[in-house]
Amino acid sequence: MSAYDKPTPRINPDNAPFWESAHEGALRLPRCGDCRAWHWPPGPVCPACFSDRIGWEETEGRGTVSAWTVVHKDWFPAFKADIPYAVAQIELVEGVRLTASIVDCPAEALRVGLPVEAVFDRVTETLTLPRFRPRRSG
Amino acid sequence: MSQALRDRAAIVGIGASSFGRHLPESQLALAATAFRAALDDAGLERGDVDGLSIHIGWPLGVDYDQVAQAFGLEIGFVNQAWTHGRFVTGSLQTAAMAVACGMARVVACVNVLSFTRERDILGGPHDFEGYRETGGTHAETPHYGLTAPAGGAALAMQRYMALYGTSSAELAAVPVSLRAHARLNPHAVMRAPMSVADHQASRMVVDPLRLFDCCIVSDGAAVVLVTTAERARDLRQRPVLVAGMQGMAAGRNEFIFAPPGLGINQQGAARPPAPAARDLAVYRAADIPRDAIQGLYTYDAFSPLVLFVLERFGFCAPGEAAAFVQEGSISPGGALPLNTSGGLLSEAHVAGWNSLCEMVRQLRNDAGPRQIADARALQWATVWGDSVILRN
Repeated sequence: MSAYDKPTPRINPDNAPFWESAHEGALRLPRCGDCRAWHWPPGPVCPACFSDRIGWEETEGRGTVSAWTVVHKDWFPAFKADIPYAVAQIELVEGVRLTASIVDCPAEALRVGLPVEAVFDRVTETLTLPRFRPRRSG
Repeated sequence: MSQALRDRAAIVGIGASSFGRHLPESQLALAATAFRAALDDAGLERGDVDGLSIHIGWPLGVDYDQVAQAFGLEIGFVNQAWTHGRFVTGSLQTAAMAVACGMARVVACVNVLSFTRERDILGGPHDFEGYRETGGTHAETPHYGLTAPAGGAALAMQRYMALYGTSSAELAAVPVSLRAHARLNPHAVMRAPMSVADHQASRMVVDPLRLFDCCIVSDGAAVVLVTTAERARDLRQRPVLVAGMQGMAAGRNEFIFAPPGLGINQQGAARPPAPAARDLAVYRAADIPRDAIQGLYTYDAFSPLVLFVLERFGFCAPGEAAAFVQEGSISPGGALPLNTSGGLLSEAHVAGWNSLCEMVRQLRNDAGPRQIADARALQWATVWGDSVILRN
């Protein structure tokens, strides 16, 4: 694999399970073992009930675009060849919102409410980025 | 916010460097120019300043200890925030609290930004602000290429447009109005006429934000001197009183570049029809109602933030700010003139301190062709919910 020159996520004890599960092709998110609320971003306690019984559970990997943008400026040299590219906030069916890139979607088809599903892009031997594409299944 | 601090502190001196792009001076040199001008304005001596409240330090600005050492000050009170635009209000508020409670006699808010010298701190490889473990404070997600603060404002505006049907050409009224103010300000960096067509022809940066929806990347310094209202009466200028203050909001329903309920990050997705009482505390603290505010001043890094602050503080109902600004309401002579020196969008990006200095000029009846007639009460307010009302 050629050298990957884009920034990589900072992985810490609170978010490591997310990146481990993405590398295995699953979208797992933190969920409270007491009140059962999902939350994002990952943290040591449940923001709804302050329990520290946080487990990681697999989501459906599906949701809708709640906000989107298309980047036209090369702030960051490593992304220059990708311009223009789409980044969105995805409201998962579990209720939390993630930020991720949108792929396999022409810019004119982007809209708030667009149904999307996760795909897993293995960018290095150790890192897989979840991305989202317009939903093909149900 | 109680009323304990009503009219207890005053702004007694303002000073600025020149504003521009690629200024040759160091940050400290720009700060020294502004500091000297503020002392002259107030009729104070360097030795009178015993407190520093610094909004933006290294690498964009100056740190408190650098300032104290370089300018030969004897300082006994310091507040310094991390280098971020959101702390403008808290920096001024802390200065007011420090003098009111006797921790300092005169606090200098020393603000300098050399953005052109540190260009790639904004969304580039040196933007460590965006590299937080849970994402940057404006929704930066560098591994997906959302690397700059503008991205968060773009996400929020795109959702706003979907909810309310607002167009880019309507959003243009914000930068066009601010340019109209800047054209009356000889110190503004951007003074060429701007029309809606010019805005629509400017290049797309991060959809829906065009170049003219984004603030100037500029260099400059501004210093504001704060002391007690009692001491202010003996100084050179007509005092400008800190009438009321309201702190910054934070929590699950907050995102720095969106009003509550817009549904960005983990905000709820139901806009409250009107602001909560705690989001309007500044009017009670000042004993000045919103409808007595004669001019509004805000952190306009991106043009959507102007719409959002109008709605956050209830000047407009949710979804109605875009229509409000179409009517020239925030332009010179409008119903609610906004950022009358041109703001970050057209005067300069001195993190809002350029606008705070303009408020002081207005309340001294010293704003020349930009003067708001009989200005008595002006409000500084941000989309992240903090505010200061100044009066004369």
